[in-house]
Amino acid sequence: MRGQSGAFSPVRLGIYGFLLISAAFFLLPLYVMVVTSLKSMPEIREGNLLALPGAPSAAAWIKAWSTACTGLTCNGIQVGFWNSVTILVPSVAVSISVGAVTGYALSLWRPRGAALLFGILMSVAFVPYQVFLFPLVRMFSYVGLNSTLLGIIVIHTIFGLPTMTLIFRNYFASVPIELFKAARVDGAGFWRIFGSIMLPMAVPIIVVAMILQTTGIWNDFIFGLVFAGRENFPMTVQLNNIVNSTQGEREYNVDMAATMLTALVPLAVYFISGRWFVRGIAAGAVKG
Amino acid sequence: MAGVRVSALSKSYGALSVLRDIDLEVAEGEFTVLLGPSGCGKSTLLNAIAGLDDINDGTIMIGGEDVTAREPSKRGIAMVFQSYALYPTMTVRGNLSFGLKVKGRPRAEIEKRVAWAAELLQITPQLDRKPGQMSGGQRQRVAIGRALVQDARLFLFDEPLSNLDAKLRTEMRVEIKKLHKELGLTIVYVTHDQIEAMTLATRIAVMQGGRIEQYAAPDELYERPETLFVAGFVGAPAMNFLPGIWRAGAVEVDGIRIPAGALDLRAPVADGTSVVLGVRPEHIGLAEDGAPGEAIATTMQFMEPMGADTLGWFAMGGHRLSVRLAPQRARAVAGATTLALDLRLASLFDATTERRL
Repeated sequence: MRGQSGAFSPVRLGIYGFLLISAAFFLLPLYVMVVTSLKSMPEIREGNLLALPGAPSAAAWIKAWSTACTGLTCNGIQVGFWNSVTILVPSVAVSISVGAVTGYALSLWRPRGAALLFGILMSVAFVPYQVFLFPLVRMFSYVGLNSTLLGIIVIHTIFGLPTMTLIFRNYFASVPIELFKAARVDGAGFWRIFGSIMLPMAVPIIVVAMILQTTGIWNDFIFGLVFAGRENFPMTVQLNNIVNSTQGEREYNVDMAATMLTALVPLAVYFISGRWFVRGIAAGAVKG
Repeated sequence: MAGVRVSALSKSYGALSVLRDIDLEVAEGEFTVLLGPSGCGKSTLLNAIAGLDDINDGTIMIGGEDVTAREPSKRGIAMVFQSYALYPTMTVRGNLSFGLKVKGRPRAEIEKRVAWAAELLQITPQLDRKPGQMSGGQRQRVAIGRALVQDARLFLFDEPLSNLDAKLRTEMRVEIKKLHKELGLTIVYVTHDQIEAMTLATRIAVMQGGRIEQYAAPDELYERPETLFVAGFVGAPAMNFLPGIWRAGAVEVDGIRIPAGALDLRAPVADGTSVVLGVRPEHIGLAEDGAPGEAIATTMQFMEPMGADTLGWFAMGGHRLSVRLAPQRARAVAGATTLALDLRLASLFDATTERRL
C-alpha cells in the first residue's frame, strides 16, 4: 500500500480534510464557551460570537464560583461543587466495592442460581431509570431516606451495580481458575482470597471502574434532583438553577463559566487517566 | 505422611459420567501416578481427592480419616498445578508463606519453613522476586516449594511438568523423584506422559473413560498389561498388535501360523477364540542373528533412527511390525527378512473383552 499512495494522495487529503472539519465542528462550541466566559457583558452584546475577548477577564469565573444566584441564595456554584464531591466520593467507593465483591462471587464461587441472578441484573440494567423514580421515591420516603445524603449514595450504588458487577465478573472470569483452587488448598476463605489475591490483581479494572463511576455520578442530574434533597443538590442541578433562574439580564459569561466549571471534573478524569483507561480495557480484553 | 483410600467414587455432570465406581488405594510413602489420555478423568479424580470438585458417590479417606465432606484446606493436602498458579502480585516469599499465614502459624516458624523449602529447591536468591520475572522452570520450583512448606500429609501434582520444555522436564522429573525419596512424601501425580509415569511411580493407575483399567507397579504394567488399552498406551514405541484366531496352541494371523506354546497363559484358551497377540518391539529380533522365538517371514519397509536404537518397520501380510534394533545392525537390513518373535514375554488378549488371557 505504501509508496503508491503517498502522504498527499487525493484519498489522504480527503481523509485529513474530513478529520479537520470534524475536529473544528466539535471544538467550536468549546471555543465559543471559553471566549464568551472571558468577555464582559457589553462586549457580548456586540454579538461577535467568534471574536476573541478585547480585555480578557476572570470576573465571570469568580462570580460563577462564589456569588452567582441559584434561586434565592447567591453563594455561587461552589456549593454544588462541594455537594457533588460529598455525593461522589462515598458513592464511587461503595458502588465499586459492592460491584467487585458481587462480580468476584459470581465469577469464581458460582453460587446456585448465579447465572439467573446475573441475567436478571443485566436485564434490569436496560430498563429506563425513569420507570423506577416514583416507586423509589415512595420507598425511600417510607424508610426516611428521601432527600438525604445517604439516600442519594444508596441510589448511585444500586444503579451502578449492574455495570460494576459486569466488568468485575468478566475480569475475574479471566483469572486462571487454578489460582483460585491453589488459594483454597492453602486454606484461604471467601474474603481472604478476595482481599489478598483477587483485589491486588484487579487494580487496572478498579481504575476503569473509578473512571466510569466518577464521570457517571458527576454528570448525573435526575437522581440528584429527585433524591438528594435541597441541601445536597449536586453541581449539575445547581448549574441548571443558575442558568435558568434569570433575574433581569441573562449573564452569558457567568453561565458559560459555571458550565465549564461543572464539566471540569469529568474532563480532568479523562485527561489524567486516559492512558490508564486504555490499559484497563486492554487488560480486561487480553487473557494472561 | 498418610495413605489414601478412595472407594466406590462416582462423579457425573448431568448425564455425562466422568468417574465410574473408582477404587484406589495409595499406601503411605507411595508415589502413585494417574495415567491416561485427555478426558479420561484423571484430573477430575485428583480434584476430587483434593476436595476441589464435588463427587456424587463414594468416600475418600486420607490417613484413615473420612474427609469426603471436608474443605480442601481441612484435608491435610498440598497441591501443585499445571499452570503453577502462583499468586502474581506476591513475591516468591509471599507465595510460599501465604498458606501458613492463613493457618495462623507463628512468624518464626513460617520463616524457618520458607527458608528450608527455598534452600531445598535452590530458589533462595529469587525469594524477593515476583513470579512474572521468573522462567517457567523457576516458577515450577516455587509451586513445588509452596506445596512443600505446608506440612501436608499428601501431595497432589496435576500435570506439573506439561508446560516445561523437554530438557527442563527431564531435570524436574529427577528432582521430584529425589524429593519423594528423601522426604518420604506420599504423592498422587497426574500425567498423560507415560515416560513420566514409568520413571516416577511406585504404582501406576492407567485410566480410560472414567475407570481405572489397571493399577500396578511400572514393571508389572509394562510386562503384563491387563487390558488391550493398557498394552497400547504404555510403552514407546508402542506394542505390536496382531489380531488372529486361536487354533490348537497357535495364533493364526491372516493364515500365518504362529505357534504360541511359549505364551504364559492364565487358563487354556478355547479353539476358535478371536485373540490379539501383543509383542513389544524389543521382543522381536532378527532370526539370522540367532534371536530366540518363532520365525516369521517379513519384508523390511523403512527404518526410524532414534539415537540409541533404530526402529525397523516390517510388513507381515497386512500387518506392520516395529522392531527395536541396534543402529549399526539396522543399516545392513533390507528386503525379505525373517524375524523371531519371543513369545515368552508377549501378551495375549481376548479380542472381544479386550482382557488378558
